[in-house]
Amino acid sequence: MIENHMTIMLVVLPMLAAPLIALLPSKNLSWGLAILTATLQLYLAVNVLLDVQGGTAIHYELGGWAPPWGISYRLDSLNGLMALLVCLINFVCLLYAKASIEAEIPGRKLGLFYATWQLVVTGLLGIVLTGDIFNLFVFLEISSLSTYALIGMGRQRQALMAAFQYLLSGTLGASFFLIGVGLCYAATGTLNMQDLASQIGQSDQPMTLYSGFAFLFTGLLLKAAIYPLHAWLPNVYQFSPQAVSALLSATSTKVALYVVVRCLLDVFGVEFSLSRLFADLLLLAGSLAILFGSLRAIQQTDLKRLLAYSSIAQLGYSVVGLGLLTVTGLSGALVHLFNHGITKAALFMGAGMLALGPGTTLLTRLAGGTHRPWLLLLFLTGGLSLIGFPGTVGFISKWMLALAAIEQGHWWLLVVILLGSLLAILYVWKFIETLYFVPQNPPETSTGPVPGRGMWLACGLLCLAIVYFGLDTRFTLGVAMDAARQLLGVHP
Amino acid sequence: MSGFFDKANHIKWILRSFYGLCVLLLVLDFLLHRHHYLQIEKIPAFYPLFGFVACVTLVVVAKWMRRLLKRDEDYYDG
Amino acid sequence: MMAEYPPFLNFYLAALFYLLLSPLFGPRLRFLLPLVPLLSLGQLIILSPDASWSWQLASLSMEWLRVDKLSLLFGYLFHLAAFIGFVYALHVKDTLQQVSALLYAGSALGAVFSGDLLSLFLFWEMMAVSSSGLVFARQTQTARGAGIRYLIVQVLSGVLLLSGALVQFQQTGTLRFDAMQADGIAGGLILFAFGIKCAFPLLHNWLVDAYPESTASGTLFLSAFTTKVAVYALARGFAGTELLVYIGAIMTCFPIFYAVIENDLRRVLAYSLINQLGFMVCGVGLGTALALNGAVAHAFADVIFKGLLFMSMGAVLHRVGHTLGSDLGGLHKTMPKSTLLCIIGAGSISAFPLFSGFVTKSMIMSAMIEAGHDWLWLALLFASAGVFHHAGIKIPFFAFFAHDRGLRPKEAPVHMLFAMSMSAFLCLLIGMFPQLLYRLLPWQMNYWPYDLTHTLTQLQLLFFSALAFVWLNKQGIYPPELRSVNLDSDWLYRKYLPNMARWLWSVREFTQPGIARVQSVILRPFSHQSGLTAFDTSQLLLKLLLGLAILIGIGLLSSDLFN
Repeated sequence: MIENHMTIMLVVLPMLAAPLIALLPSKNLSWGLAILTATLQLYLAVNVLLDVQGGTAIHYELGGWAPPWGISYRLDSLNGLMALLVCLINFVCLLYAKASIEAEIPGRKLGLFYATWQLVVTGLLGIVLTGDIFNLFVFLEISSLSTYALIGMGRQRQALMAAFQYLLSGTLGASFFLIGVGLCYAATGTLNMQDLASQIGQSDQPMTLYSGFAFLFTGLLLKAAIYPLHAWLPNVYQFSPQAVSALLSATSTKVALYVVVRCLLDVFGVEFSLSRLFADLLLLAGSLAILFGSLRAIQQTDLKRLLAYSSIAQLGYSVVGLGLLTVTGLSGALVHLFNHGITKAALFMGAGMLALGPGTTLLTRLAGGTHRPWLLLLFLTGGLSLIGFPGTVGFISKWMLALAAIEQGHWWLLVVILLGSLLAILYVWKFIETLYFVPQNPPETSTGPVPGRGMWLACGLLCLAIVYFGLDTRFTLGVAMDAARQLLGVHP
Repeated sequence: MSGFFDKANHIKWILRSFYGLCVLLLVLDFLLHRHHYLQIEKIPAFYPLFGFVACVTLVVVAKWMRRLLKRDEDYYDG
Repeated sequence: MMAEYPPFLNFYLAALFYLLLSPLFGPRLRFLLPLVPLLSLGQLIILSPDASWSWQLASLSMEWLRVDKLSLLFGYLFHLAAFIGFVYALHVKDTLQQVSALLYAGSALGAVFSGDLLSLFLFWEMMAVSSSGLVFARQTQTARGAGIRYLIVQVLSGVLLLSGALVQFQQTGTLRFDAMQADGIAGGLILFAFGIKCAFPLLHNWLVDAYPESTASGTLFLSAFTTKVAVYALARGFAGTELLVYIGAIMTCFPIFYAVIENDLRRVLAYSLINQLGFMVCGVGLGTALALNGAVAHAFADVIFKGLLFMSMGAVLHRVGHTLGSDLGGLHKTMPKSTLLCIIGAGSISAFPLFSGFVTKSMIMSAMIEAGHDWLWLALLFASAGVFHHAGIKIPFFAFFAHDRGLRPKEAPVHMLFAMSMSAFLCLLIGMFPQLLYRLLPWQMNYWPYDLTHTLTQLQLLFFSALAFVWLNKQGIYPPELRSVNLDSDWLYRKYLPNMARWLWSVREFTQPGIARVQSVILRPFSHQSGLTAFDTSQLLLKLLLGLAILIGIGLLSSDLFN
């Protein structure tokens, strides 16, 4: 019984914690409760993932109402991995947030900040775990709405503007998704994912279903910032508070992409949703994302914006893996979601630490950071992972994707993947060079607030994770392979 | 301060002994029987000739190349 | 057994400790560095011949320790080079350089003991990254530029290697690194990757671009490892590939022309490094036991004598601040020991009998004749004469003799002299007792370099090359040393492509104002927000969401309670 409840507790814990955190009188207490919740969640996430390892799934019926009428939660390798990613990043970002956020946000707002943060996490985990497509929409809105609020708390004036833009685009995406859900409901009469999946082939209104599918899919792509629909992302990442950038970059788009995978392969099924043409379109979009994102990243003069464009490129890798529709490709795509998540979070945290003093992440203002050599290690580890250097997580995903591309005989794709790595060297070099090899001009006398112990700890943990999961892939890649096999219906 | 190599007659002495060694090596080519692996080696004094001609060719061609390839020192910085 | 782990770990751990301990002990720690290769060499010597060590990554097995005579030879060589290098670098207090050098030497060792292509790729890339640290360490604008170009080319080579490995894995299901065919896609990609690191013609520019921009000791390390790992990889993977004989012959010949007109003496040495690599590539291409032995033995000797020459020029750089031939001369008066040591290096590279170059290069020359490549043999002979001309005479002559420019620097520091003396000693030792080196060679052969014909003809060749130098100088034909840049294949990516990019950019700039105007019109309504603060928004949201959360929470709990 307890095991079954663990799934739902993952979602409910932060939801219950949120109001409490908002009500607590001191910022330290608020943070303490937040980190306590995060720790519990991380523990739960690891446990449920261990339970589903090897291809079993946990079902949970909310309120005891059996699907297709009640809302059900279903946990398998795929969302187990995503839940772990969200919980892990949430935990690490909270560790980091304490010192970082106090430097950015006035004390009286801190309780609200942590409360909103919990709601973001509730939303993200809800999306990941739910087995009901309308329920998914609800969680999508919960996370989006609270995310707008978090972004708006950014220190720079443009933060509000960025939040507003994200609100517009996010709402647009969510509306499309909702319309899609509505149409699917009209065609099949069900909202439960598994039930929907079984009815896809038998529906007497295929056109409705198709339009539903189209709306749903478009909305999701916007949410996931897949190449042509990526425009909202750079502003959001650039102007958010540091810890929020780290959280969002590692989770929000990844979760949206998870929904894409789930809907395409599980709900609508490969035969329905992925004609060869459509799969090729995904490959094309992914490749363009890799090239475009990397090239734009090279041009940036702001560290966080550079990282944001690199995120667009890195998401492209996952899209490419999805478009390949093989176990190798898909597991590469899934493991890349996780791997890139921890990499990018680490880099945004590093950017946040540099920004503590000057209050900006403009590269010219950050030049000459040699007084913090440990940060160089962080940027190097993260940067090498973006490039796909062996010994880091980035290598694992790119190796799988490259292997998948060759398996299918897509030579051009191999070229794109490797070219992406070369371009990554350029933008990674760009920030390493400015940070550590360009003399400071003029030399900064006061360095402002010093990074707190929590910030160092968080960065250290992520760096270790980048290297550890780059060397020992049994866990991450194993789960991703399980998930890919399940999704594609291949038996080992 | 003037060193050993600054005095003209020292240089002259060094060069003379160098020329002497060259002549000696040339003479040895005719006195000693060296092993032939290839036809071309049978040419009398093949190695001395080759060494001299090769180096002169090298320098002449390099000088000509310089005319084509030489640019200002800050060519790539501009 | 305790000692059965890959030797690169010694260096990587040393690098880690150096990084961790240097804040505590400061630059004093550098005095321990020469001990690292010494201790590691000890481990290598007691390593049992059938030791192996592998690591499971995903479904792939990475073999990090494969011991045979070929890898052992390079293993000994790299330890020796690292030891000499760290002694020479004892004055360096820069943590970046020391750590880079440790990682770089370790990666080179990792590469030669790698049993599969993936591990090779790993160390290949580690070499690229760690060695670029040595270029950047010079801390000048030029060095930064050269460093980034160097890094890109090196990583490109790694990427090609990775692609080749991927294709091979796909086709054969194994990543083992053994003899390969150059005509498949996999083999072709891998050969191309090796070719970049081995400075094949037109792929060679990273070398002459970056090596002379590094620091005195940095260049020493650079010259020892990267290209020699490439020679090792070629010898293991592509022995007997005929194409390599032709490539090698071109490599021996074209750089010497550049070397004659180049002004920076360390760049001259870089060109001559390519020339020496050409001999090794020829040997690998021939593929007979004698030729392969010649190739690896020449690699061994080259690391030492080229290192010695780079060290002597490094000493000049250290004392004078530059190595421009046009501004040097007469240094023998105050740096007599460096001069002598430099001349020993010059004698070795020119392959004078009794010096190390002679006993190794003549193996390749003999193998060339045995294989019937008469014309290419002539090309190699031409190159041999040319080497003496530009490296054997030009380097010591323009730096230490020629016109006295009135420079009176101090003699090189003691540790530098000591390192150079060790190299010089080795040059002479190998030259006089070649069986010491021959015994280590991986393939069976029966060869003795000192017969009458060899010795006589080599002396004739060299003396008359020198005569040509004297004559050309007396006639005033010899090209003077001039401050200049000579165009090479890097013109493509240093001039042509940047110009193209600039042109494309200017087109974009031209269209930019119109786009910007449209954007500003669309976005104007949002650019002045009023009354909407983040605080308000979050409170509003919080009220809504609190309600939601409480409702869902109650619903959930009650359903559980009543079940």
